Amino acid sequence: MKGWYHSKETFGTVDGPGIRYVLFLSGCGLGCAFCHNPDTWGQGQKQITAEDVLRDLKEYRSFYEPSGGGLTISGGEPLLQPDFVAEVFRLCRAEGIHTVLDTAGYCKPEALLKVLPYTDHVLFALKAAGNQLHQRLTLASTNEEILRNLRYIASRKPVTLRYVVIPGYTDDEAEINSLIRLLSSLDCVDLQVDVLGYHVLGVYKWAELGMPYTLEGVPAASKADVLRVKEMLKQAGIKLAYE
Amino acid sequence: MKNWQGFNQGIWQDKIDVRDFIQKNYIPYEGDDSFLAGATEKTNAVWQRCTELLAEENKKGGVLDVDTEIVSTTISHKPGYIDQANEVIVGLQTDAPLRRGVIVNGGLRMAEQACEAYGYKLNPKIEKIYSKYVKTHNEVVFSLYTPEMRRARSLGLLTGLPDAYGRGRIIGDYRRIALYGVDYLIDVKKADKEQIFGDPMIEETIRSRDELAQQIQALQDLKTMAASYGFDISAPAKDTREAVQWIYFGYLASIKEQNGAAMSIGRGSTFLDIYIMRDTEAGLLTEEGAQEIIDQFVIKLRLARMLRTPEYNELFAGDPLWVTESVGGMGDDGRSLVTKSSFRMLHTLYNLGPAPEPNLTVLWSERLPENFKKFAARISVKTSAIQYENDEVMRPVYGDDYGITCCVSAMKLGKMMQFFGARANLAKSLLLAINGGKDEKTNKQLAPVMELPQGEYLDYDDVRTKYSEVLAWLAGLYVNTMNAIHYSHDRHAYEAGQMALHDSQIERVMAFGVAGLSVAVDSLSAIKYAKVRAVRNEAGVATDFVVEGDFPKFGNNDPRVDSLAKEITHEFITELRKHPAYRGAKHTLSVLTITSNVMYGQKTGATPDGRPSGQPLAPGANPMHGRDTNGALAAMKSIANISYDDCRDGISFTFSIVPGALGKNEMVQVNNLTAMLDGYSNCKAHHINVNVFDRELLVAAMKEPEKYPQLTVRVSGYAVNFVKLSHDHQLEVLNRTFHEVV
Repeated sequence: MKGWYHSKETFGTVDGPGIRYVLFLSGCGLGCAFCHNPDTWGQGQKQITAEDVLRDLKEYRSFYEPSGGGLTISGGEPLLQPDFVAEVFRLCRAEGIHTVLDTAGYCKPEALLKVLPYTDHVLFALKAAGNQLHQRLTLASTNEEILRNLRYIASRKPVTLRYVVIPGYTDDEAEINSLIRLLSSLDCVDLQVDVLGYHVLGVYKWAELGMPYTLEGVPAASKADVLRVKEMLKQAGIKLAYE
Repeated sequence: MKNWQGFNQGIWQDKIDVRDFIQKNYIPYEGDDSFLAGATEKTNAVWQRCTELLAEENKKGGVLDVDTEIVSTTISHKPGYIDQANEVIVGLQTDAPLRRGVIVNGGLRMAEQACEAYGYKLNPKIEKIYSKYVKTHNEVVFSLYTPEMRRARSLGLLTGLPDAYGRGRIIGDYRRIALYGVDYLIDVKKADKEQIFGDPMIEETIRSRDELAQQIQALQDLKTMAASYGFDISAPAKDTREAVQWIYFGYLASIKEQNGAAMSIGRGSTFLDIYIMRDTEAGLLTEEGAQEIIDQFVIKLRLARMLRTPEYNELFAGDPLWVTESVGGMGDDGRSLVTKSSFRMLHTLYNLGPAPEPNLTVLWSERLPENFKKFAARISVKTSAIQYENDEVMRPVYGDDYGITCCVSAMKLGKMMQFFGARANLAKSLLLAINGGKDEKTNKQLAPVMELPQGEYLDYDDVRTKYSEVLAWLAGLYVNTMNAIHYSHDRHAYEAGQMALHDSQIERVMAFGVAGLSVAVDSLSAIKYAKVRAVRNEAGVATDFVVEGDFPKFGNNDPRVDSLAKEITHEFITELRKHPAYRGAKHTLSVLTITSNVMYGQKTGATPDGRPSGQPLAPGANPMHGRDTNGALAAMKSIANISYDDCRDGISFTFSIVPGALGKNEMVQVNNLTAMLDGYSNCKAHHINVNVFDRELLVAAMKEPEKYPQLTVRVSGYAVNFVKLSHDHQLEVLNRTFHEVV
């Protein structure tokens, strides 16, 4: 079975525990305004078989294992190719390789049914808890389905929820409060939040692709911005990643 | 022997055998770094004075002062001090700190020009002696060179050859002075002279007798120099402070005698740990005291200086001396050689702040104690000041008492010396194969005349065959050139002091090197897997290349191109071995450029991989900047694929990463770096420089250098103060692949 992919990173250290092989699949329809990898939205031209992913990954196993790492499939939106992801993860299971799925949860529930049984950990990139803001930041007409998928995943797998602090957008009190309400309402195995600062390092890619960047002029989040959001979540009893 | 009381007995008492002494006496340490002590008041006082002097040196353009009146030798200068009341370890190269001495036996021109470059004038009497009455190494080599050798040198095919300066790279086993005292070493040399080199009186024996006589004199001088500082080093050191002082005197004599490119110190910390343990148990030394001795030893090593020309600096940037100290490693018996003093040595980077010298080198093995591995990795994350070399590939070849000289070159301590040979430009060699043997920059015939490759596009088999012809010719020329250089160096700039600290019968290696490996293999890959058309001038020389289509590039763990790197290094060392080396030396090869990749690039025309004329080559065995697109581990695997058996003089990889790309907090970063080094060692790779910093930091340091006097950056095989690099070299460091996350 073949998957469409954008690139691979043999030394991934920020997408799951330890040192990881990160496969970036291509194709995503969420269209986030602050996406730093818009070059992964299209399907592209590169394909790889599940077996070849494993073969390539195993080249570096002596680095991954002692670090507690493994494989992360990111994107793009990996859940647009659920059969492929499931197949790669299934092969990893057979080899005892730790698997992480990095998703925005913008997919049909059937995709989750296929992939989750072979997934050890999920990085869930939630763009906004409030529906209105979510609409402003993405092309999705509503975040209902995404939140439903989050509930489903969280009740079955350990999740690191990634939340990007975009000054003036995702960091106002009302937004954080709806995030807190959402997280508190989840029935979950283990959930922690990784609060990330919005940065502008990927903006040049939009220009390269000839696409207008709608967040032009929005500053990168400062350390203080990130800290403030972290503090609010902590006060509300939410567990934070990387304390 | 009273000074040996408390040590376990062994054959080391009956003959010179430092390794046996270490093995019988050292105690491995598995614990963490919590025992370490900070800098003492004395250390802070001395270092404070040094930072003032170092700032002054920088302000004056890199050289604080030069003694133009006396030729530097072991006994040339009166004692010098930094802050005598607070110095625990004493001795300077001249009578004042950072005042550089003039060493002339390597070459008069170099000494004169270096003086002039910094606004000084060499005493005319010295100039007269060395031009009229005494031959220098430089003068003799140039009288030996053939026209072909001169051409290869001036056109940049062979560069950085030690023909105008000292060859260096010899590590005296300075520990011998501490353990045995100088008198015993003299007795052994005297006996060797008669017993080993008494008969028959043929050229090699006669020469060895001459050299041994020089060694004995050098040891006498060493005692005289120590006496001027108030120490009698004829007997073994009786405590830790003396042991360090004895070692340092040996090193000091070496750098007063030789303006060698790399003057490495060896592997002292575990040896010294035995003295520290003995003194501590006897209640004579506290942890503060032990750290103070190590810190002050390191201060002295940080002040070692040579007088060199700005041209030299273009090749080996940042005023380096490669005072390489090797730390860690495993023993043959499976015990780790890490002791508390391995920690103390690295801890100097905290107590005194980061610095490029001594060139601290951790001999890595997955089996090293976890606490030590993490400790070293944390220092890398914080200071970028240490390099790592794989003990698991070196120990089987060199045993467990080797040291690194210069950057990546392993030597059995006291048993091996090397003839340093800089490097040949593999990228330029490929252009010779494409251009019928003509130099692409000048159109001059350099290699033997060859037919030009035919056809619209370059044909791989055709070019590859011609490349082999060039490499075969180059290997012969290279060995012959080196033989001439080292004959002359042995005659006119013999390292008597350092060789006195070796066994009298020694192994010799001749260390060849290559530059531009990744450019050469990417170019071959382009010819093989894409279509490459040469754009030729009226002389038939390709001035540019048009590449149609994509091709696999070195640094992505792609066997199609990685195999070429292995193939070419293997081919070149095999060709070199066909030509006998001077004094029966064994041929070795390094893939290391130091910073000469910038200058080499300037001398290399456009290459078939699409690299424009004049652009720097990648340093060492690195992939070309920006071509390794599958992440750091893929690059590491590509490099690990080059055989250490073919490249016994070392394979250098410089790795730069922003802290955030190593992990989200310091603990994670340390864990990931440790795991990365374990993995690297496991795949039989050899060397890695680890730089952890943001590019913005370098940009800031370029703008306001005075604010970053201690910013240390690892380049190919050594470290430099970033602010001491030339603008071109700074840009080259900045333009390297930085592994980062977007």
